[in-house]
Amino acid sequence: METTEIIEDKNITVERTGEEIRKLFFKNELCASCGLCEEICPVSAIEVEPTGAMVRTEQESSKINIDETKCVLCGMCSCICPFDALDLEIDGESIKDKEEYPKLIKSAEIDDELCIYCKACETACPQTAITVSRELPARADLVTGEIEVDKDKCIYCGMCEEMCPADAIYLEEQIPTSDNPEVASDIIIDEDKCVYCGICKRICPEDAITEACRICPYGEYEIEEADVTGSSIIDDELCVNCGWCQEICPKDAPTVTKPFEGELTHDDEICQGCETCVMVCPCNVFSFPQPSKSGEKVPKLFKDERFCIYCGACEKSCPVDAIEVKRTKVNYTPTKSKAWQNAFESLKS
Amino acid sequence: MYINIGIISVINTHGDSMPRHIVSGLKYIAAVNLRKKGHTQKKIAEILDMDRSTVSHYLNGRNVSWTSIEIAEVITNFCPKDFMILTYALLKDREQTRNIIKTCSARRYEAFIKDSCIGCALCVDNCLMNAITLDNLRSHIDPEWCFGCRICETECPTDSIEIKEVD
Amino acid sequence: MTIGLVVHPELCHGCGNCVVSCPVNALRSSEIAGGKGPTDDVEIIMIVEDGEINLRNSDLCGKCGTCVETCPVDAIKLEDVE
Repeated sequence: METTEIIEDKNITVERTGEEIRKLFFKNELCASCGLCEEICPVSAIEVEPTGAMVRTEQESSKINIDETKCVLCGMCSCICPFDALDLEIDGESIKDKEEYPKLIKSAEIDDELCIYCKACETACPQTAITVSRELPARADLVTGEIEVDKDKCIYCGMCEEMCPADAIYLEEQIPTSDNPEVASDIIIDEDKCVYCGICKRICPEDAITEACRICPYGEYEIEEADVTGSSIIDDELCVNCGWCQEICPKDAPTVTKPFEGELTHDDEICQGCETCVMVCPCNVFSFPQPSKSGEKVPKLFKDERFCIYCGACEKSCPVDAIEVKRTKVNYTPTKSKAWQNAFESLKS
Repeated sequence: MYINIGIISVINTHGDSMPRHIVSGLKYIAAVNLRKKGHTQKKIAEILDMDRSTVSHYLNGRNVSWTSIEIAEVITNFCPKDFMILTYALLKDREQTRNIIKTCSARRYEAFIKDSCIGCALCVDNCLMNAITLDNLRSHIDPEWCFGCRICETECPTDSIEIKEVD
Repeated sequence: MTIGLVVHPELCHGCGNCVVSCPVNALRSSEIAGGKGPTDDVEIIMIVEDGEINLRNSDLCGKCGTCVETCPVDAIKLEDVE
């Protein structure tokens, strides 16, 4: 039986060989330096580096240190990490797939039936975990009409081409020569692009264009409703279950379950506005309010608890202890182990 | 791990073949004990990984050195941890060590696992007797195989194991 | 690994950005927060004296990195101090 540690590219692997092979993996990139692993470790083998220093300044080391002489590879850190930065595998199988291990109950899903692919969630997601792709119908499918140029009347002045908002008119310009004294050889209207707005007709000095929109006189019933298709995908590895997508969605398509419940308090008196929490928070809970007019007094810091997962990174990072994160509930799957139950419950304040 | 220094010096005075002699002494004691428990010679040969004729010789008091048996007897009376470590060092085989120890030790132990057990399986890896298994993130020690070496007890990171000798 | 506050006086230009931006200093002394500097003997983390940065009480440091960000010449850093 032997325990070894390998650090590669700030990622850590601790391995114990024996009756079974236990491997603990740490992915530095996913870590928010929240300190929960350090808090739950039953043998004090984990030390999390100062959160602000790790996030705000260039550091060559991993965000956490694991003392392989103390680590017993029990897996508690891996089960409590809300960012899945830690994972314990026993004989190649993640303990997150093993029933006997308690796991944080956390999820984020977007209901395809409700999603209209507006991309608000994609824009708001603090972890860029959401990818929305959509396919819009062809513009021509949403309009119908007729347009024609009387080429005998057309003088190829190009005003219609210049004015067309849909870039649907194209003049084949040419330099007039003695044998062909014309400024253009042809005028082409792309009916796939034309929206039958009538601007060309109105600008034409020669009344060479006839145009009729069929929607305006007959109403909308003849036109099929626009069919937008697409997909909204949440990358589970990047998602931190903050709830931004759920709160910003105009259609209530996302459902987010958070791993912790609690209370976040911030003392504006003590706060010096150093911005560390703003930068540290993986959920964009904090922002600096901007005054709308000069001289207006705004709070130093704004927080919206709807996005908070109570990981504690902000509290750990605040240099003046102006932030307090209280956890009132840890959501986890049931376990028969008293020790594990106690460990999970101990994270409540 | 701690090994009784005295016995090593005794062994060393007998040269390279000494370990083999002691093993035969241990196997002799094991064979006799197994016979007392009513096992057939065939079964004994199987358990101790010996051929049947050797078992038969042993049981009839032939082909064994009485000095070896004396030394072996001293070893079986070591504290369980030393007995185990030395036997394992001599046999270099886990399965055989388990069988020899089980048949040569009369003492019985019972283990109590506290609620504080986190199921890290360090004890499972440490137990030379393969007496420990995990069930629902909690260790279970099979009294049938626990031999009281207490390595699990001392190494447990959460002090969750208590081993008691049963009268 | 222990990350702590380290200053490099030989690189310091004495601008005082770190002293003023430090939230711990600012909380302890409103004079510092206002950029005037301490006129009393309040305990602060770092101070510029004779144009050079000096660490006074690094144990007060919350390792937030604000000063590191404001220093124009990398004269103050959070690095391994072990």
